Amino acid sequence: MLHNQIRAFIFENFIFEEDSEDMLKNDDSFLEKGIIDSTGILEVVMWMEDTFGVHTDDTELIPENLDSVNNLAGFIERKKS
Amino acid sequence: MLMLIQDYLIKAVSNYPEKEVIIAGKKRLTYNELLRDSGKIAAWLMRRGLKAGDRAGILMDEPMEYVKSYFGILLAGGVVVAMNSQTTVRSLTYQANNCEISFLLSQLKFVKYVKELSGQVDSLKNVLISSSGDEEVPEKLSFDLENLEDLLQRFFPEPPSFPAVDADGLAQIIYTSGTTGEPNGVMLRHRNLIANTNSIVKYLELTEADRVMAVLPFFYSYGNSLLLTHIAVGGSIVVNQHFLYPNVILDEMAAEKVTGFSGVPSTFAILLNRSSIREYQFPSLRYVTQAGGAMSPKLAREISNILPETDVYIMYGQTEASARLSYLEPEKLISKAGSIGKAIPGVTLNLLDAEGNPVPAGEVGEIVAEGENIMAGYWENPERTARVLKKEGLWTGDLAKKDEEGYFYIVSRKSEMIKSGAHRISPKEIEEVIHEHASVHEVAVIGIKDETLGEKIKACIVLKEGFDLKKMEIMRHCKQSLPPFKIPHDVEFMAELPKTTSGKIRKKELLSA
Repeated sequence: MLHNQIRAFIFENFIFEEDSEDMLKNDDSFLEKGIIDSTGILEVVMWMEDTFGVHTDDTELIPENLDSVNNLAGFIERKKS
Repeated sequence: MLMLIQDYLIKAVSNYPEKEVIIAGKKRLTYNELLRDSGKIAAWLMRRGLKAGDRAGILMDEPMEYVKSYFGILLAGGVVVAMNSQTTVRSLTYQANNCEISFLLSQLKFVKYVKELSGQVDSLKNVLISSSGDEEVPEKLSFDLENLEDLLQRFFPEPPSFPAVDADGLAQIIYTSGTTGEPNGVMLRHRNLIANTNSIVKYLELTEADRVMAVLPFFYSYGNSLLLTHIAVGGSIVVNQHFLYPNVILDEMAAEKVTGFSGVPSTFAILLNRSSIREYQFPSLRYVTQAGGAMSPKLAREISNILPETDVYIMYGQTEASARLSYLEPEKLISKAGSIGKAIPGVTLNLLDAEGNPVPAGEVGEIVAEGENIMAGYWENPERTARVLKKEGLWTGDLAKKDEEGYFYIVSRKSEMIKSGAHRISPKEIEEVIHEHASVHEVAVIGIKDETLGEKIKACIVLKEGFDLKKMEIMRHCKQSLPPFKIPHDVEFMAELPKTTSGKIRKKELLSA
């Protein structure tokens, strides 16, 4: 569910296509795939904060937390628990 | 007296052969290794028929391979055409055909673009491709394909002799967005780049002890000047051009003990607002430079507060001037807040009215620049060249005023160019693409103020009667013909666009809406 919600946001705002596994797998790096640039990642963070009511500390803006659908989902779950 | 850009490299190799010139993640390259590999690339280019003055393209985002290719082309007497790696087949084909490249040096990850050039670019005969990336290489192409790593593995018994090139000869063509649609190929001679590099080295007081953190791509004029100035002094360049996670960059800056950092306004906005920069200490950081558009004085002050021991240089320039035209001395950052400073050594800046007469202090005029760094013109476009290169010098299109002590302040731009992040973007190009959509009646693209990017791209669209369209469909349409940084951030559908009585769209009104 959470993964689908993240995918929907990424596809609507960065890929501009219908969701498909071919275009983005859940463990694909946004950076390696060239999907999101430096300002895009800030949009992702803002969306995450608004949608899930979590606060992101500046020290948490690292690839391990943000650079794939899986990493984002894991990060949101940790923040909510 | 140095004559050619490659002489910077040759001199640095003789002074500091084992010193690291490029550091990119875990990869490190010494001056010796750089010259050795560039020499092999040059020998290959020459054997394949490259003649002095022939254009060779680079489409790469791997810094090591990029720099080797850059110097390889220059050593062989060629002209470097470094292409934006965030590109589309459309703009690549245009540039490749416009300046008739005969060679292209690229990476496997860009094969999807390279193969589209097959049969489309008659001049292109040879492609050298580095194997970083995992794309498949197609079998039938209209040019020969060779692998860069294989080439570098080979043993060259004797160093090849390189052709003599005149300092008046072209070194680089850099494409920039023009106001009238297709990009312009800015022609820079060796002596233009040498003059500008030497001037920057002088005012930044760069030495062999300097290590710069380069986050800007080398294919842009600002990134190019970071590369040249540091090689000119035998310094080192720490490269991470993925500015996605600023804390990763800050870690690298601390670990590599960099002495310099360069960015555009959005780089600094991101560092200040979305990084842990306040928790870091940078005892080695001697200076930071900012160029690529106006940064708010507030942002400049904050950077200076966070980095009290570091000199902050505000700079101004254009690709047409090899990069740099003016700088503000760090000690004037507060007293001359908002100023772009004064001309760099070797450059004269004048404020002129439309007739070419100087305007008095305090009044607004166009910045016109003279100096050895000014371009030779736009590639095969004498009309556009004549519009900016006149007897008074380079007409920059930037309107400014000067205070009584001679400090320049930019007031506005004459053109509608959008500056977003490090990019200079032509609204016309985006308008043309959107207009191709069957349901679009009219469109106007504008730059709206943005705290991080400087400007964000907004498309105001009037649809044809009876049509209904979602924002996403416009984005998807744009994505087919435009690189990501040119895709509008905002789309507004309107009933009509505000116009003058003569039918011209009033963009100012859209901006203030």
